[in-house]
Amino acid sequence: MYTLAHSFILCSLLQRPGMHNWIELPGCQYITGTTCDFSSVKLSVFEKIQLRIRAEKGNRTSPWHEVGSFIPFRKAQIGPPKVHLKAEDKAIIVNISPPGTKDSLMWAMDILSFTYSVVIWKNSSSVDERTETVYPGGKIYKLSPETTYCLKVKARLRLHRKVGSYSPVYCVNTTVENKLPSPENIEVDVKDQSYVLKWDYTYENMTFQAQWLRAYFKKILGNHSDKWQQIPGCENVRATQCVFPQKVFSKGAYFLRVQASDGNKTSFWSEEKRLDTEMQTVILPPVISMKSVDNSLHIYIGAPRETENKSTSQHYPLIYEIIFWENTSNAERKILQKKTDFIVPNLQPLTVYCVKARAVIEDEKWNKSSVFSDILCEKTKPGNTSITWIIAGVCTALFSIPVAIYVVKGLLRCINYVFFPSCKPPPNIDQCFSEQSLKNLLLSASEEQTERCFIIENSYSLVTVEETSQVDEDHKQYSSQTSRDSGNYSNEDENSGSKTSRELLQQGLV
Amino acid sequence: MSAKPDVIQKCLWPACLVGLFITGILSQNCALLNVHLSTVTWQNLKLLSNRSKPFPIECLQEKKAFELPQEILSHTQPVKRDIKKVFYEISSQVFNVFSQHTYKSAWEEKYLMEIQMGLNQQMEYLEQCLEEEEKESEDMKQMEEKIWSGAREPLLSNLELRRYFNRIGNFLKDKKYSQCAWEIVLVEIRRCVFYYFQKFTPLLRRK
Repeated sequence: MYTLAHSFILCSLLQRPGMHNWIELPGCQYITGTTCDFSSVKLSVFEKIQLRIRAEKGNRTSPWHEVGSFIPFRKAQIGPPKVHLKAEDKAIIVNISPPGTKDSLMWAMDILSFTYSVVIWKNSSSVDERTETVYPGGKIYKLSPETTYCLKVKARLRLHRKVGSYSPVYCVNTTVENKLPSPENIEVDVKDQSYVLKWDYTYENMTFQAQWLRAYFKKILGNHSDKWQQIPGCENVRATQCVFPQKVFSKGAYFLRVQASDGNKTSFWSEEKRLDTEMQTVILPPVISMKSVDNSLHIYIGAPRETENKSTSQHYPLIYEIIFWENTSNAERKILQKKTDFIVPNLQPLTVYCVKARAVIEDEKWNKSSVFSDILCEKTKPGNTSITWIIAGVCTALFSIPVAIYVVKGLLRCINYVFFPSCKPPPNIDQCFSEQSLKNLLLSASEEQTERCFIIENSYSLVTVEETSQVDEDHKQYSSQTSRDSGNYSNEDENSGSKTSRELLQQGLV
Repeated sequence: MSAKPDVIQKCLWPACLVGLFITGILSQNCALLNVHLSTVTWQNLKLLSNRSKPFPIECLQEKKAFELPQEILSHTQPVKRDIKKVFYEISSQVFNVFSQHTYKSAWEEKYLMEIQMGLNQQMEYLEQCLEEEEKESEDMKQMEEKIWSGAREPLLSNLELRRYFNRIGNFLKDKKYSQCAWEIVLVEIRRCVFYYFQKFTPLLRRK
């Protein structure tokens, strides 16, 4: 709605900037006030429009005043929603109609996107105020019976940063406390192929029934109270839990509620519990395998064993919690790992270690993890040190054998040299001697040429005095050897020695 | 400028596969939600391409060009949050369209329910993720008012989309929600969803 400055106003509308056919605005022709309402115009609230206004009096008109172009949707403010309340003993049902009328153009595309926040307080004291976000048809819980509560509601469009104005304040009295309280603490668990719905109840011997509703019905307006359906297997149960197969709910989000009954009376419905089938998927435990490498363990974490019905499309960001301990002791060590392939180092050799692991969702808020995998035990290999000693020993042995042989050989040579010298003259001695005869004498030691001496017959005077008996024999002996002897004496090398002996013999003969 | 009909065939499979990979690509903050978001998105894409019968030929004459907006993000380097907001807008508008449809057969009833459930979940996950990111970056006190604020204004892009969906909505109203009008709109929605997923996922992956 626009405030305009003069009496007798004529408004026009330009649908798109650039186009020049101004259209008359119905509801804004010949107005005497300063505001006019052109809501009935079927224009697109997302298109830019331009307005121009002029005043008229009789025949005279003022010039057109053009209002800058704008997009109605952008400028629009959210009005108050309409609220209808219905009280229970400890809760209030808030039926909210969205702002605007049913055919209002402005929010036609956003009716389902409104979020509503409610401020509620006890009429007696405005101090404890509570603000809650509710869906239309939603309930406010945890109230006291027989109390007057007042509330106000505002709508907001989050995506467009639009917050509406509050509705007027509505007050209502909660009823007398119902004889039968509603079930509380509703929980949903998954077990095998079924959901287990559990709740708490103060009294015994009651029957219960549970219902479900598709979550999106809460967004679609209208009375969806007739859309709740019975959960099969949860009608008139006596226990505070019921089990139903998972295939009752196809993939999606649902609300569940439980009511108690003693045969005559029923309680109010419990708080609605939201069930998101996707969020309920069970994380399967991983499969571990281990290998011992020296004094460490190499651990591999594998994908869980697939059961037939579980879909593999859930690629959760997982980290693994690995617990391992020495088989004999109870001291456990916990490791958190994102990698599926890692080594635990520095372990005791020849010890049995046991390992178990589970997968945990990385996002701590969700606090979801699988059960622990099977326990796997493995013995570490014998120490590193003994192996290296063995290798070192072998190497040393290999090296030392030729060395030892060499040393022993040297020793033997020494011993031989000292205790068993050889009679060989030094090899360079022939350089010292030029004469062949001396050479022969000195060097031909192996031949052992002994000098043969002969006694000739005529020199018996000397000989007979001493060796009479022997002369004849010697003579005979010597004479036989004479011929041989001469060969020796003809040797020129034997100088003085041989000459003197010859001279003596000759003297003896003469 | 309207995309050619064979765009659907060409980008059907890549778009479907792309839905699967949205997981690791979206923000680190709501990692688990992203897993579910990608699963749900993938399922929705599959659902959208599932029809019990082929397009009735007699409805071809009522065909209309809805002018799918091709450039909807004004900046050349759109932030992931803006892309998520676009997806949110698309999901909620498509949800809107489907919620107006009255089903004629049991198959249609089941089909519609599944799609709406899937879209609702998609919207919720996106909402939660965007909210979480806001909580972490904004001052808690000012969260109430600024919950969806950002340094940039993606409103222009959303308006383009809205005008587009407005055209679709008006078409349905004008044709009084006839079966033919509905079939045409379904084809158009499929085109739109595939087009944007195909367009934006490479941008998300690049970051």
